Amino acid sequence: MPLSPQTRAARVRVGKGDKPVTYEKAHAPHYIAHRKGWLSLHTGNLDGEPGAAERAVEDAFLRRFLYGTFPGVLADEPVLKRRANLLVVCAVLARGLAPAKLYFLVGYAETLLARFYKCPVRLELQTLPAKVPYKYL
Amino acid sequence: MAARRLGGSSWQQVVSLSRRCCLPGGRRERYRCSSSSTALGKTVDNSEVTQEEIVLPRRKTWGKLAVLQTLASTVNKDPTAAHYMFQDDPFLMPRNAANSRLFSLSKESGRNAAKYIIKQFPQYFDKTFAEPNIPCLMPETFTPQIEGVSEEALKERIHLRRVKDSVDLFDQLVQAGTTVSLETTNSLLDLLCFYGDGESTPEKEKEEEDLEEPGVNASEQKAPKRQFQRGSQSSGSRWRENNNAERIFKIMPERNAHSYCTMIRGMVKHGASAKAYDMYIDLLNERHKADVHTFNALITAVPYLKERFLERWELAKVFLNHMAQQEVQPNLLTFNALLKTLRRCGGVGRSMSLLAIKEMEALDIEPSLATYDHLLFIFYRGADLCPSGIISEVLDDVEKRSFTPQDPDDANFFGTAMQVCCDLKDIKLAYQLNKAMEKGDNWKFLDMDRLNAYWSKFFSLLCMMEQIDVVLKWYKEMSPSHFYPTPKNILDLLQALDAANHLEAIPSVWEDMKQLGFNRRQDLLQELLSLMSREQHPEEIQLAFAKCAEDIKAVYEQSVREQALLEWTGSALGHVALLFSRAGRTQDAWNMMERFQQINRIPTDQVMEEFLNCAKQTNCPDEAIKLVKLAAALGLPSSQRLKSRTEKEFELSEKQKKTLESIKSDSDSSDSDSDSDSDRE
Repeated sequence: MPLSPQTRAARVRVGKGDKPVTYEKAHAPHYIAHRKGWLSLHTGNLDGEPGAAERAVEDAFLRRFLYGTFPGVLADEPVLKRRANLLVVCAVLARGLAPAKLYFLVGYAETLLARFYKCPVRLELQTLPAKVPYKYL
Repeated sequence: MAARRLGGSSWQQVVSLSRRCCLPGGRRERYRCSSSSTALGKTVDNSEVTQEEIVLPRRKTWGKLAVLQTLASTVNKDPTAAHYMFQDDPFLMPRNAANSRLFSLSKESGRNAAKYIIKQFPQYFDKTFAEPNIPCLMPETFTPQIEGVSEEALKERIHLRRVKDSVDLFDQLVQAGTTVSLETTNSLLDLLCFYGDGESTPEKEKEEEDLEEPGVNASEQKAPKRQFQRGSQSSGSRWRENNNAERIFKIMPERNAHSYCTMIRGMVKHGASAKAYDMYIDLLNERHKADVHTFNALITAVPYLKERFLERWELAKVFLNHMAQQEVQPNLLTFNALLKTLRRCGGVGRSMSLLAIKEMEALDIEPSLATYDHLLFIFYRGADLCPSGIISEVLDDVEKRSFTPQDPDDANFFGTAMQVCCDLKDIKLAYQLNKAMEKGDNWKFLDMDRLNAYWSKFFSLLCMMEQIDVVLKWYKEMSPSHFYPTPKNILDLLQALDAANHLEAIPSVWEDMKQLGFNRRQDLLQELLSLMSREQHPEEIQLAFAKCAEDIKAVYEQSVREQALLEWTGSALGHVALLFSRAGRTQDAWNMMERFQQINRIPTDQVMEEFLNCAKQTNCPDEAIKLVKLAAALGLPSSQRLKSRTEKEFELSEKQKKTLESIKSDSDSSDSDSDSDSDRE
């Protein structure tokens, strides 16, 4: 069914054309499963599975935590994958910090999150020269 | 939709893209492979090929075992990947030993920072919602619970390793008149002797976590023994005169054997060996029996008590006899301590160590790696060496078993053994040692630093002894996954390439050098340049060499802000000019020649000749004339010869002939000085 023209959820409004926007941000939520994947993968939303709300709260905390721990170098939204007890955080970073500093932050984040959520946490990083713009809006 | 985005028209593009898009969680997977080219790059190539016509590829037939073979090839170690602890990304992968150490240490310090935060704010981390509860992920409590002055409180503080608090509490108890039981006083003495009167730091507390057991006495009994061995190498604190331990010892109303033993072990650990010996005499006078750990400590202290070799051995024998008299069974650590003492006994050590080994076998004690390490040291690393075949026997023993760590000195075995193989220049022993290392759990004895040193020595031995293709095969496999080559390894590799006449691999070695961060080392650069410029090589190799030379020139000229500018040496300049000339790059070669005056050096005749050859081939008579002018200006004896060569071999215009003539008068007037310093400094 067609969407109302007043919807504002998760959309970047068209501007002058100088604002670079990543692929993730450029697409509105109705493109999920068509042009976008999911940013958080867990079994909580399957039929009869518990814990969907807890996972949602954990996701919100994790995204804020990562946004603060890697200030300015996070090039795109991190993807959270849960496999049994393990929480895998896949983040794409820009090369703004020296590798030694990035490893410090990785060790810090992994240990702190593991103690906080009582489950093993693994951080898998990929670095890019800069944020990749998909469009300019 | 994808085809629309790219504007490509070929159906092959669409097929390849849609195949990629069908992966689950697709989008992310495409970004993930950093090593292969991006999706965009690949399709651009495809479009260039298929623009004119669509070529249907032939149907591939696979053998029956193809899938299994492919799967099997993924199971082995990936030779291009760094250690598992590093992230798999080209920016975050360490390229040399210093970087790998730095990254692993920074990761560890990040962990420590997180642990510090958790210790400061345990209230945010102590909700137990995991089923079952995971104790290692909960914050630890370090504050003592029992308040007040009582023996229970003292026991708790000892258990939490709070040295200063325990001592204060003990003094308070004594002043209040309450008698503290012997057991508690002994455990207090254990604590004090272990820490040598310093405070236990949080790092030390972390090490002991896995050793903590419910009973206080039992834990004190076991914990100091294992940590004593480790701590004796790392203890920075020295035993002060009349410190807390001694004071408490003196005011104890009654002492038992345990008290004496603890004091002896503490004194040996913190360097007061003479006092330990006196304390032992006191123990004998009181007719107590010492335990095996005390005897181990005393045997370790022997080199500090006596100077001459024979006296040391006699004292050790005294201790061993006492052990037999007091019916104390020796254990593995006794013999290891004995061998460690024999290391410092020179020739006496050599003869006696074999007797010690025979005793061990008679008592049915399995030797550990530390035993073998001490043996190898005694026989191969002493001052006066006599040949012995003990290393092959040792290796035969080692490769049969998988060892467990029983002594902190176990970790040194592989390094010492590889050093001995290198000294003996025996590659077969080294291969045998490698096999021993790969058996069972033996590889766990090598941590990152030791691993690097081990493989580095192995590679040097390989370069010396093996054929070049074997060397190159090992080199491809081992770096960067197993180890990072040291500068010495690179020099050895260059020499091996030279010996095998395989100099065309030099440009790739230069690439590796740049990656490892060795591109500013004078010795390596000199070696590289001299090898490249020694002989004439076929055309494309010469061009590759010239490119290398250009890189090296850039290295010399660039001044990176932290490092000082590299000074040109005469030979380096000459080699670079030579390489440029041989590749036919006249202009670059001339730039090099001009620099000779700047650094006050003189080019060799060979360089000048080559330059002239190059100028002749590329038909630049101007350059030739400039060369003759330079030679005359520097007052070289060869300038005449160069002039005549130029006249004969080049077709000169009238103007050029006149300039050439005018140079002649300059060189005649200046006396060619025979003591002009050549560029070989």
